[in-house]
Amino acid sequence: MRNEKPLIDWPKEGPTRAPYRVMNDPAVYALEQERIFRGPTWHYLCLDVEIPEPGDYRTSFIGETPIIVVRDESGQINAMVNRCAHKGALLCIEPCGKRKQFACVYHAWTYDLKGNLTSVAFQRGLAGAGGMPADFDLRQHGLERIRVENFCGMVFGTFSKEVEDVEAYLGPDMAAHVRRIFNRPVEVIGYYHQMLPNNWKLYMENSRDPYHATILHAFYATFKLNRLSMLGGVALGHNGWHNLLYSAASRDIQKDNYEGKGLRSVIEDVGLADSSFLTRLQEFDDGITVAIQSIYPTCNTQQIYNTLAIRQTVPLGLEKSELHWTCFGYKDDDAELRQMRNLQANLIGPAGYVSMEDGSVGGYVQRGIAGADASEAAVMEMGGRDIKPAPGVRATETALRGFWQAYRDLMGF
Amino acid sequence: MTLVAANVDEAARRQIEALNTRYIRAIDDDQLEAWPDLFVEKCVYKIVTRENFDRGFSLPLMECASRGMLVDRVTGYRRVNVYEPQRYTHMLSGLVIERIDATRLSCKQNYLVVRTMVGGEMMIFSAGVYLDKLVLGADGAKFEERIVVQESRRVDTLLVIPL
Repeated sequence: MRNEKPLIDWPKEGPTRAPYRVMNDPAVYALEQERIFRGPTWHYLCLDVEIPEPGDYRTSFIGETPIIVVRDESGQINAMVNRCAHKGALLCIEPCGKRKQFACVYHAWTYDLKGNLTSVAFQRGLAGAGGMPADFDLRQHGLERIRVENFCGMVFGTFSKEVEDVEAYLGPDMAAHVRRIFNRPVEVIGYYHQMLPNNWKLYMENSRDPYHATILHAFYATFKLNRLSMLGGVALGHNGWHNLLYSAASRDIQKDNYEGKGLRSVIEDVGLADSSFLTRLQEFDDGITVAIQSIYPTCNTQQIYNTLAIRQTVPLGLEKSELHWTCFGYKDDDAELRQMRNLQANLIGPAGYVSMEDGSVGGYVQRGIAGADASEAAVMEMGGRDIKPAPGVRATETALRGFWQAYRDLMGF
Repeated sequence: MTLVAANVDEAARRQIEALNTRYIRAIDDDQLEAWPDLFVEKCVYKIVTRENFDRGFSLPLMECASRGMLVDRVTGYRRVNVYEPQRYTHMLSGLVIERIDATRLSCKQNYLVVRTMVGGEMMIFSAGVYLDKLVLGADGAKFEERIVVQESRRVDTLLVIPL
């Protein structure tokens, strides 16, 4: 770097502040791609059940970088940058499919399912003329491979050679929550894709913020589904890089009319004309009804009643991002439970009664901070100034402070 | 242009066109309270993306399994959910009408929705097809089912007003 001065002068208050400039400075955005997305971090890529057979692939992203995740002939999952080593064209254009090999449509450079370059069209030229130099070595021109790990069916990738394995990266509490969600085989029930008019970090803050939940999301409070007074709290992992926001409806805890396999149905009479879409089953023994987990930097796992999803946030430039939701149920769901998940989907996604506002609120911040000077910053002192787990506490911004501390560590701010 | 099966009479066709006109007037004129009345009591209104629809995934963007759930969506829009003021402009085309039985018909047509935000931004917010089942009656046709298949897999920002 030519400048010795850091791009951002972080306020002396530390992680209780986040300078607005990190949301709208192109130099910061470029550095994030290098230090966060190509840094010592793991990134959710897909579920292993989306690529069950050899040759099945799915495209994904690490930061802005397009990625292919593919199962090879031996059943191993590989991931590589979705970028031909010749001219940089996308190799896989469709979001998913099945291939024996990857051939670039541009000049037919062809790669095997491990990313090795296997052939170059007209390598020896035509009729003895042209072609690649005799010393051109296919082995030097494979796709850029990345490290992959399948943890409980969630496939993660990283550019980093140094970062610890996924389980250690998550830490024991966060790994336990992933195991809780993926306690038996899952099945994808569909996807949402949502354009967010804001910097990626504004969504990452939002999903770590229990303070806003019952205020912005009026549906919860209006229909008494979730109040800050309910049991709940914040767990942290990896010194606050990751976190879990959890809550349990008190009416669910007090009732103990368990039926069948430890499941019980709860139907709320909350003043809706037809609240049958809120019919739910208590699927988890711990009584937790809402659990939003953040895995640094851009992955969330979600349980809102019986809706289960992974959310992946992909930066698309400084002031735009795309949120990819992969919604799933369990393979052993019966038809009734599956339809319950579908109807409860009215709560989530871009049209969700309790999640739609998250699509727009980042845009309000993005527009609000336009023109802010270098000294202006967001203030996050709810629940104190430290970063520590907050069992029983929901009026807290501890998980946001954890996010910003991780950000500062990685970015060198 | 409308393509009408030979066994669908002119009166039925007029009822269908009137129902669709009432539908877009209810939404585009911000008279959403009139929207649930265009459906029978035991109805299905569902918005799905082409991606999920074609792959046989059941996940809806929005799913109402009764007229009461339509009323609740109107309540959400009016009193509960938080969003920037916005209006839709619907354009419909390519109507195909087929008869199911004496009183019921199935229809398919394209829709296009332009969304205009309070700040002036206009965009093509959604385009796709309506797949309808409707029932004729003395006081006009009503929807038994409207499945909205949006061609794009993406939604910009949020979806609060039905398509």
